[in-house]
Amino acid sequence: MTVYESDLPGVGKKHEIELDGEERLVVVTHNTGKREVFRRKNADSDSVKLFELSDGLARTVGTVLEGAYFQPVATENIDTVLGGDALIEWYEVPDDSELAGETIEAADVRRRTGASIIAVEHGDEVTPNPDPGAGVRAGDTVVVIGSRSEVDSFHATFIESGGGDDVDVDADVLDGSDDGGS
Amino acid sequence: MAAGSTAAGGDLHGLLALGVLIAAAAVVAAVGRRVGIPTVPLYVLGGVLVGPHVAGAVGVPSIAPAEVLTLAEVGVVLLLFFLGLEFSIDRLIAARRKLSAAAAVDLFVNFPVGVAVGLLFGLGPLGAFLVGGIVYISSSAVITKSLVDLGWIADPEAEPVLGVLVAEDLVIAVYLALAVALVAGGSPVDALPRTAVALGFLIALALAAQLLAPRLAPYLGTSDEDLVVRTLSVALVISGLALSVGASEAVAGFFVGVGVGATPLHDRVADRIAPLRDAFAVVFFAWVGLNTDPVAVAGVAVPVVVAAVVSAPTKVVSGGIAGRLYDLSPRRSLRTGLALVPRGEFSLIIAALAATSPDPTIARVIPAFAVGYVLVMSFAGTIAMSEADRIERLLGVVDG
Repeated sequence: MTVYESDLPGVGKKHEIELDGEERLVVVTHNTGKREVFRRKNADSDSVKLFELSDGLARTVGTVLEGAYFQPVATENIDTVLGGDALIEWYEVPDDSELAGETIEAADVRRRTGASIIAVEHGDEVTPNPDPGAGVRAGDTVVVIGSRSEVDSFHATFIESGGGDDVDVDADVLDGSDDGGS
Repeated sequence: MAAGSTAAGGDLHGLLALGVLIAAAAVVAAVGRRVGIPTVPLYVLGGVLVGPHVAGAVGVPSIAPAEVLTLAEVGVVLLLFFLGLEFSIDRLIAARRKLSAAAAVDLFVNFPVGVAVGLLFGLGPLGAFLVGGIVYISSSAVITKSLVDLGWIADPEAEPVLGVLVAEDLVIAVYLALAVALVAGGSPVDALPRTAVALGFLIALALAAQLLAPRLAPYLGTSDEDLVVRTLSVALVISGLALSVGASEAVAGFFVGVGVGATPLHDRVADRIAPLRDAFAVVFFAWVGLNTDPVAVAGVAVPVVVAAVVSAPTKVVSGGIAGRLYDLSPRRSLRTGLALVPRGEFSLIIAALAATSPDPTIARVIPAFAVGYVLVMSFAGTIAMSEADRIERLLGVVDG
């Protein structure tokens, strides 16, 4: 993927990002801060304007696109590597998981897999640092911390067995950000 | 452009004169924009309506050009200041291989066309030189706005179009410096020392802009308020000094802009001064209108039409060649040419200069010609851009 930058004297700057084949995404950043985003099918066709954003809005959207709030990484699930071997992963609990309808203590998560559940999301409600007695229901998202092998073991024991997979994007992660002003 | 108006009359003074002038420009611009006419000629038209030649002629209170002369001069200085601000010698050097050829074609095709039109209509060598400049210089304001409005800014033709405009900026700075000396006229014995002083002033300013500006930048202040006040004072003092030694205040403004542009303050100054430029530029355009007698414009209708019919195609050709030099396809090259057709603010600056000429023919005919020509070309050029698809099909220039 190549990004081409060029000056637009009196206007601002232009960045062209190669997409599939000859297609390019063209971002015009005006000196006023306004961003205009175009798509061009190939070298011969004219750019079609997709949308424009104010400076503040563009930064917020850019931050979202960059994955600052949520990163679906190339591995099957989202994970955040902490350095060393430790990582944090998010899993949705499938209906037929052993964890569904159980408390963390009863499922014996820590002893069986080595990983710990550090948060449970149930709908809009997030329980950070849940008590061992806290219940987990099917459809909840659990946030798990451990070494890679421990997290893999958790996945094999409680998630894979049921075929549950990626997390759905949870809006309240984004609640902290307003529109950035425009 | 010292007070060179021959127009008499004017019943509105001071604040009210300025307010009515800007209001007239705003109203005409609002009406004309609905039919897609670019705003620069509309501001001129607004000035014509409230000026001595229209409002004054029918007995309605009118505005004498001298009422707003100084503010109009501020407009010219800020227009050129902005050109300087966006002007980057490094950028010019980086693109020199393609750009120098494109800029040379632009200059050596379109300037002679204007000179020929001037000579054809008996305006003499100086008149022809001025018409050459008016015909040569494309309008950064009109063209840049059209590029953005039509979305061409994202297409490859934006690069040669904006490149040619930047090259024209440099040419026009040199041209105006020369033109001011030539228009002042007089015997060679008088003219030579005066010209030497004027050019010396501008050269010293250009050197200062390159060498000293980065070191002086910290003195422009840190708060936005300081930045605006101090930048404005530097620009006005230096361009005012230029005027007092017989040099072009516009070119002085250009070099002050180059100096500020070379400092890290570039973006912030551009951001803060842009609204001022817009406001004062409107006063300048409307002031040109105040000086304009519609009857005189009608009187030069034939030269205007001839110049338009010849110079629109030559711009398309020279711009098309520029596109080819930038390795664009025939269709995109044609668009490059079409985009460069509009003429505007710089042609009017040359007109304002011509109005100060001691030669009555030049002082009367050239400004009228420029106003008529800019009206036609800014409109025709904008239409050409928005109807580019049809023109491509008409000419059979379609990329396969």
